[in-house]
Amino acid sequence: MTDKLLKRENLDKLIGSVTVGGGVFVAPGMEARRVVFREVTRADEMTHDYIIPVNSYKDWVFPQTEVIARFAIKKDGVDLKGEKIEPPETVVFGARPCEAASLASLRSVFTWDFIDEFYTRREDRLTVLTVACTAADDECFCTTVELSPESTVGSDVYLKETADGDYLASAITDKGTAFMEKYSTLFEGASAEAKPKELFIPEKIDGIDLDRIKKWLDNKDHYDDPLWAELSRKCFGCGACTFSCPTCHCFDITDEGTTYEGEKRKNWDACQFEHFTLHASGHNPRDAQFKRWRNRFMCKFNIYPKKFTSTGCVGCGRCIRVCPVRHDITEVMEAISGR
Amino acid sequence: MNGNFEPKIMAFVCNWCTYAGADLAGTSRMEYRPNVRIVKLPCTGRIDPLFIIKAFENGADGVLVSGCHPGDCHYTAGNYHARRRWIAFRSLMEFTGIDMRRLHFSWVSASEAIKWVDLINSVTDEVKQLGPFMEYRGLKEKAAE
Amino acid sequence: MENALREKARELLTSGEVQVVIGYGWNRRKTRTTPVFITRSEDADRLVFNPLCVNNLSIYLTRKYKDIQALGRPAIVAKGCDIKNIVVLISESQVKREGVYIIGATCNGVVYKQELWAGELNPGIMPTKCHNCDVRNPHVTDFVVGDKTDFTPPEEPTGMVFDRIRELDKKTPSERWGFWIEEFSRCIKCYACRQACSLCYCERCITEKNMPQWVETSAHPRGNLSWNLIRAMHLAGRCTFCGECERSCPVNIPLNLVNQKLVLTVKDAFSYRSGYDEKEHPPMIVYSPEDKENFIK
Repeated sequence: MTDKLLKRENLDKLIGSVTVGGGVFVAPGMEARRVVFREVTRADEMTHDYIIPVNSYKDWVFPQTEVIARFAIKKDGVDLKGEKIEPPETVVFGARPCEAASLASLRSVFTWDFIDEFYTRREDRLTVLTVACTAADDECFCTTVELSPESTVGSDVYLKETADGDYLASAITDKGTAFMEKYSTLFEGASAEAKPKELFIPEKIDGIDLDRIKKWLDNKDHYDDPLWAELSRKCFGCGACTFSCPTCHCFDITDEGTTYEGEKRKNWDACQFEHFTLHASGHNPRDAQFKRWRNRFMCKFNIYPKKFTSTGCVGCGRCIRVCPVRHDITEVMEAISGR
Repeated sequence: MNGNFEPKIMAFVCNWCTYAGADLAGTSRMEYRPNVRIVKLPCTGRIDPLFIIKAFENGADGVLVSGCHPGDCHYTAGNYHARRRWIAFRSLMEFTGIDMRRLHFSWVSASEAIKWVDLINSVTDEVKQLGPFMEYRGLKEKAAE
Repeated sequence: MENALREKARELLTSGEVQVVIGYGWNRRKTRTTPVFITRSEDADRLVFNPLCVNNLSIYLTRKYKDIQALGRPAIVAKGCDIKNIVVLISESQVKREGVYIIGATCNGVVYKQELWAGELNPGIMPTKCHNCDVRNPHVTDFVVGDKTDFTPPEEPTGMVFDRIRELDKKTPSERWGFWIEEFSRCIKCYACRQACSLCYCERCITEKNMPQWVETSAHPRGNLSWNLIRAMHLAGRCTFCGECERSCPVNIPLNLVNQKLVLTVKDAFSYRSGYDEKEHPPMIVYSPEDKENFIK
């Protein structure tokens, strides 16, 4: 596999060539004093100085809210029409290796016993251009969950920044190869001088042992361990962690409209909400916040790995950064590893 | 502008005064703009600010809230409570940037059929001048994207 | 100060006067503070107090937290601004004054967001509430830790929130509309604003009332607008401007502006400031025949 060189000054052309045909180019940019993934049309809307955007780019494969059907109530019955989507070519530039690994997790859920075309059609049209990390912050923990800035899982094209701010690109998947061929004029042959900057590998958190966690969670007696309440009763039940998590995938279907017509919408939902598991009878099996938080942890480290081969937690650290009470998932991982 | 535009005005009114006033206007064969859609409630104290938001959401171009004059509440104090609420709510709506010519409050008693007729005519004309509430409807189109 | 705090916590737990102390502790790396629940006197040393203690812990006193109430009578470490919320909770019959032991912490200000901390507190990183704080020496307490501070808040409220409200007031309605629609359209309906707020204690929020669905749950501009408006309205006359909603918002919506706007409206119209006197009724549950307005025709 030979590396090609994508020059920083060619980014504008790349964005132009993708968007000119109706494509969508998603890249990190500043919005409301934070770096977020958003649709850009010019290179100067992008930012290159970031650890990881606060939101996940799952919004472009699994939108926060989307119409899945429309209905109209008429004299002779109800007219229900499913929505067909034709997603545009979508390119995500500047994903981090941790987050790139998350798409496989989303795909496993959305293709598990039912093929959710709203997801798969979008993902089929998505190309992920990952930029490997040259910096990290305190919250990054990819190495603790067996990923690293060097991992290429989920990336279609893997980019390494050079000292001049250009990118050394290598195609990882067929989709990536096709992408680089399609825009081959912008991917030049790399000279030997183009050296990538050194990657920053965050230190693995010492006290955490993934296998031990999985084993401990597997034992049903530990489900009612006092540890859960002790460590997570401070959680106040917002959906910030869930909504910024690249692998969280729960949604709710809701009707919206007037008396005679409207639409069915698929909206993000969060297991942290009290009403997520509330039964019509009034019974709530997860009746305390720590139980809801326990579910989030179980989902990532027990339910997910048992059901699918992909990982549930990619160590991007978003949930820690965004949490208003600074609930740190790694502290719970550490506590369980010590059991 | 908008020569043919006929605004939709939602009126949330109290059963004991404004509604009876409107009824009196009708039985007295007074003529007024047909743009108003009346929703009658037991008291202005029952009018949740959310009703007003919902009215705009569902395509109202203007909203009118009307009840009993201070001191005349059928339930003694419902309109006083409502007034407090409106003071806060109006300030919030104004701060959000909703044109205050689209949101009206009034006291109309059961005998004030003429006041009701004049009020509806003036509110309708004012909203007609403003044109349809496209900013709010635009939100719906934005939503459909 | 921290020693006095720990000493008091130990004493309260040992004597059995309280069964849990709700306070602040360090995270693993000691870079951020996080709420802690101390139930054993030997753990009292985990308690800390410093300008990173931004959380308003009074949420844990509300009825949503049955598992915390099950621990027993709580003591709470509270700054003056947090105590304002406890006062509102008492005046709304959510908490009994004798049901909670308030350890007031004198405070010289906190950071707006913990991420801004660089080892030193300066006015530039303090939220607007701290610049105008008249409760740096906490006002309703059972015990006070920390030395008395002498700080006189300015006559005219200062700070970014007030400046921006004045700025917005000067704009035309359509400019304000444009501003708010843009801000609210970022909303992701994570409800962090509601969950962070100790005065949002309803067990069934209006947005969860779904027969019919009053507030659209979709995170599109229309649903976002009605959610944010109705939440502001439900806090009218109650909000103490603790700023937790804005701090918690992951998409940086300036919620302080709407809430403070209503605080100012209520102050002007009803001469009421919430959070100072637990015996006074909140303004929205009472009325006065003399209430003044100029817009009802």
